[in-house]
Amino acid sequence: MLDLAYYLVFSLALYVIGIYCLATKRNLIRLLLGIEILVNAANINFIVFAAYALPGFVDSKGHSFAAISIGLAGSVSAVALAIVVLIYRHYGTLDSDELKQLRG
Amino acid sequence: MFTVPFDALLLFTVISPIVGYIVPQRYRTKILGAFTVAALAVTGIALYELYRQVVSTGAVYLPSNDALFASLRVDALSIFMTAIFLGLGFAVTIYSMAFVENSNRTPLYYTLILTLISGMTGIVFAGDLLTLFVFWELMSISSYALVAFFKEEKASVEAGLKFLVMSAAGSATALFGISLLYGLTGTLNFESLTSAFSDTAANVWIYLAALFIFIGFGVKAAVFPLHTWLPDAYSAASTPVSAIMAGIVIGPGVFALAKVFFTAFVSFQISWGPILAVISVITMLVGNITALMQTDVKRMLAYSSIGQVGYMLIGLAVGTQLGLTGTFLQFFNHAIMKGAAFLCVGAIIYRLGTRNLSEMQGVGRKMPLTAIALAISVTALIGLPPLNGFPGELTLFASTVEANMAWLGIALLVNSVISAGFYLRIIYTLVQPVSSPKLEQIKDAPLLMLIPVCALAVLIVMFGVWPDPLVNFAGDAAQALTSLGGTA
Repeated sequence: MLDLAYYLVFSLALYVIGIYCLATKRNLIRLLLGIEILVNAANINFIVFAAYALPGFVDSKGHSFAAISIGLAGSVSAVALAIVVLIYRHYGTLDSDELKQLRG
Repeated sequence: MFTVPFDALLLFTVISPIVGYIVPQRYRTKILGAFTVAALAVTGIALYELYRQVVSTGAVYLPSNDALFASLRVDALSIFMTAIFLGLGFAVTIYSMAFVENSNRTPLYYTLILTLISGMTGIVFAGDLLTLFVFWELMSISSYALVAFFKEEKASVEAGLKFLVMSAAGSATALFGISLLYGLTGTLNFESLTSAFSDTAANVWIYLAALFIFIGFGVKAAVFPLHTWLPDAYSAASTPVSAIMAGIVIGPGVFALAKVFFTAFVSFQISWGPILAVISVITMLVGNITALMQTDVKRMLAYSSIGQVGYMLIGLAVGTQLGLTGTFLQFFNHAIMKGAAFLCVGAIIYRLGTRNLSEMQGVGRKMPLTAIALAISVTALIGLPPLNGFPGELTLFASTVEANMAWLGIALLVNSVISAGFYLRIIYTLVQPVSSPKLEQIKDAPLLMLIPVCALAVLIVMFGVWPDPLVNFAGDAAQALTSLGGTA
């Protein structure tokens, strides 16, 4: 098996990509994708740690956490997309810079 | 399945939309409101039974009575937090019966309120991080939907999205931190986490896990650099929602921070205590000074919530049992005070149609009961005796002196004085002579709004004059946390 460090570097890189996406993108759908990337970075961690917990065995706790967190991320996305649809109806755009109703 | 109060709450939550669509549309608000009140009352009674069980055994573990495999762990701290969730939920639901208009979406409003309370109850009942995270998301999702619930208003929807993006990124960050913690220790159970690091030297992964978990839960608790969503969400949401959010939704954030840092990271307390102290001072300064500059009353109260979060963090930074007592006491009292203040301001906005403080001059003469309740809650928020803000701040101050961190206590006093600047401005506006002709026809708030507001004001005075039972209860709650972490 590959060394654990490679997987950790990968998941940390994925986390940084997600934060970069949240910080720089202006399209609301892209912002939601950034959140999904963050969740997936954490899920990969769970799967990797479950596989490396004991040599030759797989820890079921990590797998069940990953499975449940995928479901939770799905429900967050559902609510988020519903709110994005409402935003589009009110503002007619998905550009986050156009949302200026609330100051500071 | 879980415990009796929690089962009852979840069952009522699930059947509330069904009840909502059976009853005729004209009566939906009233009947659903009564249903929600009944649900919270039944849960409260069951909670009292559970409390007696907890007092006799110390902690209740579920599903089996085995500490190391428990998904739920109910101790005095859980009961303490749940009591205030149910109490403020009760007041807000009665208020909503006058506030929410009858429509085919009304049942969803009450379902979301019940879901929010179930989620928070689940967080404080959790025995491992998996359970905590699942209920964390239940709470988060229902709070996003509640902020954006009145979808005809542009500001609500925008605040909902802003809140969602920050908070969901925060949850994902917390998840990343939990995954690192799982990798380091191989367990998620609080009982096992306590002993996991006891003979490990600190290394970079432990610091990284602590940082991610702090950022993740800190977003919901509105800790300083992560607080930017709070003023928008609280001021743009409808009044009952802002009351419940400002009063109790910051609670689970503070609770989760306390729970993780006083179990898993308790042996590195020397490292994170001073950092948390600095963050708490910055948080309260930012909250109170920004509140001074606001003209919108709801925004002013929202910023003052950030200041109050700073006060609560003092107790965590000190880290002694007295400090934690102060934190939980301050949380309990803040929920009552800030809940009452938001509901009063909401009643004034409901009658007057403006949120600008300068246009409210003389409202106190036209809406005497609401104004008296608002004056009481605002005075309590400053921390003046004999109201209930005082014992919490006094306990926090005493704990800083006891732990040789008196500069932290002095920062608390300075902030109380700063906060008096804007709280007293509200009272000053209320007692002015009536200025505009628009105010002449204003009547006092509807009865269903006055009942919860006055009840909360009575509680503020009661817990201020006679704080002993509450202080003892908060002490038991802090004792439950420190004994779990092994510091007592």
